[in-house]
Amino acid sequence: MSFPKPPVGMLPNERIAYSPIPQRKPLRLPKGARMVVWTITNVEEWDPTQTMPRTVITPPAGGAPMPDIPNWCWHEYGNRVGFWRLLDVYDKFKIPGVMNINATAALAFPELVKACVERNWEFVGHGYTQRNMQKVENERDDIRKSAEVLEKTTGKRPTGWLGPGLTETWETPDVLSEAGYRYVADWVIDDQPVWLKTRHKPILNIPYTQECNDVAMMLIQHHKASEFYDRAMDQFEQIYKDSSKDAARVMAISVHPYIMGAPHRVKYFRKIFEKIRKKPGVLFWTGEQICDWFMKAGPKAPE
Amino acid sequence: MSNPMKPGERCDFSAIVDRPPLKLPGNARIVFWTIVNYEVWDIGKPMARQLLPAPTGVPLLPDVVHWGWHEYGMRVGCWRFFELYEKLGIKPTLSANARICEDYPRVAEQAKKAGWEFMGHAYEQGPIHKEENQPAMIKRSMDVIEKFTGKRPVGWLGPGLTQTLETPEYLAEAGVKYIGDWAYDDEPTVIRTQKGPLVTLPYTVELNDIPMMIIQHHESDYLLKRMIDQFDRLYAESEKRAKFCALAIHPYISGQPHRIKYLEQIYDYVNKHEGVLHWNGEQIYDWYKGVAADKLKAAT
Repeated sequence: MSFPKPPVGMLPNERIAYSPIPQRKPLRLPKGARMVVWTITNVEEWDPTQTMPRTVITPPAGGAPMPDIPNWCWHEYGNRVGFWRLLDVYDKFKIPGVMNINATAALAFPELVKACVERNWEFVGHGYTQRNMQKVENERDDIRKSAEVLEKTTGKRPTGWLGPGLTETWETPDVLSEAGYRYVADWVIDDQPVWLKTRHKPILNIPYTQECNDVAMMLIQHHKASEFYDRAMDQFEQIYKDSSKDAARVMAISVHPYIMGAPHRVKYFRKIFEKIRKKPGVLFWTGEQICDWFMKAGPKAPE
Repeated sequence: MSNPMKPGERCDFSAIVDRPPLKLPGNARIVFWTIVNYEVWDIGKPMARQLLPAPTGVPLLPDVVHWGWHEYGMRVGCWRFFELYEKLGIKPTLSANARICEDYPRVAEQAKKAGWEFMGHAYEQGPIHKEENQPAMIKRSMDVIEKFTGKRPVGWLGPGLTQTLETPEYLAEAGVKYIGDWAYDDEPTVIRTQKGPLVTLPYTVELNDIPMMIIQHHESDYLLKRMIDQFDRLYAESEKRAKFCALAIHPYISGQPHRIKYLEQIYDYVNKHEGVLHWNGEQIYDWYKGVAADKLKAAT
């Protein structure tokens, strides 16, 4: 079936052709490994003068009063306290860190950025502010400014991009490619990296996750804290089974300091790594490492 | 007030790992802070929380069902709380709508007699944003409680933790010393207002029966489970620095027959540990103003 073309950019199926995963050419990781796990920590700055992106408590009798101090504080706790608990887990299990960070957050929380720079984390462009890309006034400016601020604050221009809330316009991949980003993670479409065509050079998409994600599990679906561990393990075991030395797979885990960094939740995050860190054939990489590997080991970018 | 301060302007960002640890008196390592909320839900207004969706989805007034749900807490549920805390010898913080002193004198009298700390919690339940005259409401709330207990409250919690940008100034002006509205840290902090400093105490929106039971719809026993997970982690961390573990409850929720045992079991669990102080907000504030005297002075 053909769908009406958007005024700018491309339809999803113009960027990527359908491809069933069992029918692809072998895809091999170094040293006979079978899968890669990448763990992404999302750091945001919430504008106290806007409606909060998420809430834990609603005002008496409902509504959305402004300012929303309790929910602003709930999020701010993540950056003051919660993040440092997650950092302990990453340090303890030697997990290479990946941070999706709004440019304004990189400016607002220099101590947090510094701790990650010291550990050689990868910083991923994540919008200038935490705003839907469709509501950003000038997408091109936002994407370019995000890279510039991250380069200034972290010392390195970001390679990857994840839209705030994974939002895209019809032309986001084009704009990202033109701005020099090498990969994007908005398209949760496959268990292997895939190429997306753009009007510029093709851009790689790396498997991210909406389901192994604390926003979805804890805030939207209201599961108990232990579900984070249970689901991550179920996901891991199945992807491990699906993968082989000739069929590499990628699994993502995505967390937010204000959610999994709460005292009553962090142990369920930690338990995941206690369990999977020593599994043979599993690599713990950053997005950039996945990108570098796939560009050599995977199929060539489409013309 | 023209140009009120935004939250980030009232305090500097501070990562907990960059601060010198706080030290509690003696061998204590953690403060367990219990906050009980007693409220007045005016039958003439929309009810603060709902359990049943309105038939056909249209909320109508009066909402007798939810008035009754809340009223059960004041007639029955709160007496389960009184009994529990008397048995435990704990004097919790009572987050009190001032109007309970007028509408439920029997309940307010019992809390006073039991030596609970009265913390200001508006005159009656409703978002503070909708108050026509916020400074007057705050002053009235403080005055009514002061008249009833003989002592002006030291602390304040907005209804549903709500504040406008100007609220901290109004509170400082009315004589409030600490607030629970800023649940943004594990430690007390000092914030600036144009009327002098306020202390924020680490209140909780996560270990709170409204978000857990009413918003997130968890099963009754999850109150105990989450509290154990929370306490275990904070207790482990309290080896290196003083920690504060808050629990906020409401009589119409945790005072229900099917929930009360999980609340009771929380204290069984917590009290098995060494070095736990059961302090109310005023006790935390009195201790903190001593150790943070320089910070309070700097914010004056």
